[in-house]
Amino acid sequence: MTPRPDLATRVGPLELANPLMTASGTFGYGLEFAHLTALERIGGLVTKGLSPEPILGNPSPRICETRGGMLNSIGLQNIGIDAYIDDVLPGLSQYPAKIIVNLFGTTREQYEGLARRVEGVPDIAALELNVSCPNVQRGGIEFGHDPQVLEELVAAVRQNTSKPIIVKLSPNVTSPVLIGEAARRGGADALSCINTVLGMAIDADSRRPLLRRLKGGLSGPAIKPIALRIVYDVHREVGLPVSGIGGIESARDVVEFLLAGASAVQVGTALFRTPNAPVRILEELETFLTDRNLAAVSDLIGALEPYD
Amino acid sequence: MQDAVARVLSVTEHPLPYYSIRLSLPAVYDDAEPGQFVMVQVGDRLEPYLRRPFSVFDVAAGPSGVVGELLGKVVGRGTELMAKAEPGDEYRVLGPLGRGFTLRTQGRSALVAGGVGSAALLLLARSLAAQGGAFDFYYGGRNQVDLPCHLEFGRLAEQSGGRLVLTTEDGSAGAAGLVTAPLDEELARGSYDFVYSCGPMGLLKRLAELAVRHGVDGEAALETAMGCGYGACLGCAVPHVEGRWALCCKDGPVFGFSEVRW
Repeated sequence: MTPRPDLATRVGPLELANPLMTASGTFGYGLEFAHLTALERIGGLVTKGLSPEPILGNPSPRICETRGGMLNSIGLQNIGIDAYIDDVLPGLSQYPAKIIVNLFGTTREQYEGLARRVEGVPDIAALELNVSCPNVQRGGIEFGHDPQVLEELVAAVRQNTSKPIIVKLSPNVTSPVLIGEAARRGGADALSCINTVLGMAIDADSRRPLLRRLKGGLSGPAIKPIALRIVYDVHREVGLPVSGIGGIESARDVVEFLLAGASAVQVGTALFRTPNAPVRILEELETFLTDRNLAAVSDLIGALEPYD
Repeated sequence: MQDAVARVLSVTEHPLPYYSIRLSLPAVYDDAEPGQFVMVQVGDRLEPYLRRPFSVFDVAAGPSGVVGELLGKVVGRGTELMAKAEPGDEYRVLGPLGRGFTLRTQGRSALVAGGVGSAALLLLARSLAAQGGAFDFYYGGRNQVDLPCHLEFGRLAEQSGGRLVLTTEDGSAGAAGLVTAPLDEELARGSYDFVYSCGPMGLLKRLAELAVRHGVDGEAALETAMGCGYGACLGCAVPHVEGRWALCCKDGPVFGFSEVRW
């Protein structure tokens, strides 16, 4: 009998029992899914983006479906870091999944404060920084759009935490590699690629945009080729471990991201349609590896075979 | 709440664009509350990608398990595919979801449906009729086609000691005009203790205003776009009077008239 394949992987210092994580903003705070899936089988849970204070979010319509995906402009609605740590985290600590908190602020000081707030919380395994939000000290330009600003931001967070820092890169920049390199210089341990792709949808009859706030983030299978390209570039050129995100729905998708250079993956929009998606994909992945006599998932990382 | 595979037993075509589908459902649906809903995955396609919400129109436990019925209206690609379902087809169905109506069997109620919003009111009408809660059923549409299953609603209203009131904007069935007109008259007479409703947002807003003006409380099942149906995507925000956003899927779809900032 063939031994079961080794599913363990690591994203820099973050060790995972398997490469399947849930993407920020698509898994609520985690507990919403407890009765719909085998939560204990998931390698890592990335929380909804958390800010220093609760945020109410945008008016409806906040989401709309597009071909092969969806647009969202939820408006960063969240319960705030304190409510998460006090009310949600205790319910999750019984699960073996690594808890990664996705954090964002509108100033560097807010990011520093968030890092200090989670530093003494043992159940939090790592920080994922959402840098796709407006920097009010720089006229609202996103932190993740300017290499210098991003490097300083990551360095400031680094001063305030001993936990692994993962920076989530936006695809809406000329060169994600330049931004990824800035994150590395600032002291990031790993990168998540990619955040949603800025998009828009319009109804031809009513002449209205389908989102109240006009534009939103595109996610789902429609963005997978963009995500694969960025994972490939960033893994090759930045030299930090990458967590791959973008339209993942099957074991084959996972393998493609691993081959492109991802060390782990995050399932996002697929969860809305299939709450059990990560566990189902994990089972498929075991079969995929077993069928091909592949001993370990880690053997696939960056193992793309280019043409001669 | 359970994510299960449901098999289509039969499809009934009402005058288009309406259709209803009978499905085999897990036992958990035997306890479905009036006003609750399900999220149906229409095939394994990229379009439609997300599941579609449907009210639990009807549900009954029989010797071969629980049978549910969904009443739908063709509005886009997903509902168009659903209308073409055939016996034996299988759909993934997540549910029952959300908060249903509060059952009030004391006094007299008005049930008000705008078009396919009636899908949220059949189980309620059945429960009221079975438990001695008298009600009149107001059913409004643009034309006579917009009133699917009105005979069944009329039968239940009569069984409860009430009547069916039909209105159409073009006068092709019942009184010509909006469903709010006859309701307004009866509310002014003090005929009702409570109003239950489901339909387009504009209708529900007018109903809530009317009811409040006449000092009558009520509930509305809201129809919004939904991404997931169970509180994960935060896509179905409804303005709450407390100044926050409520989620239609989790805090609703049934809200008290005074809970929503219309």
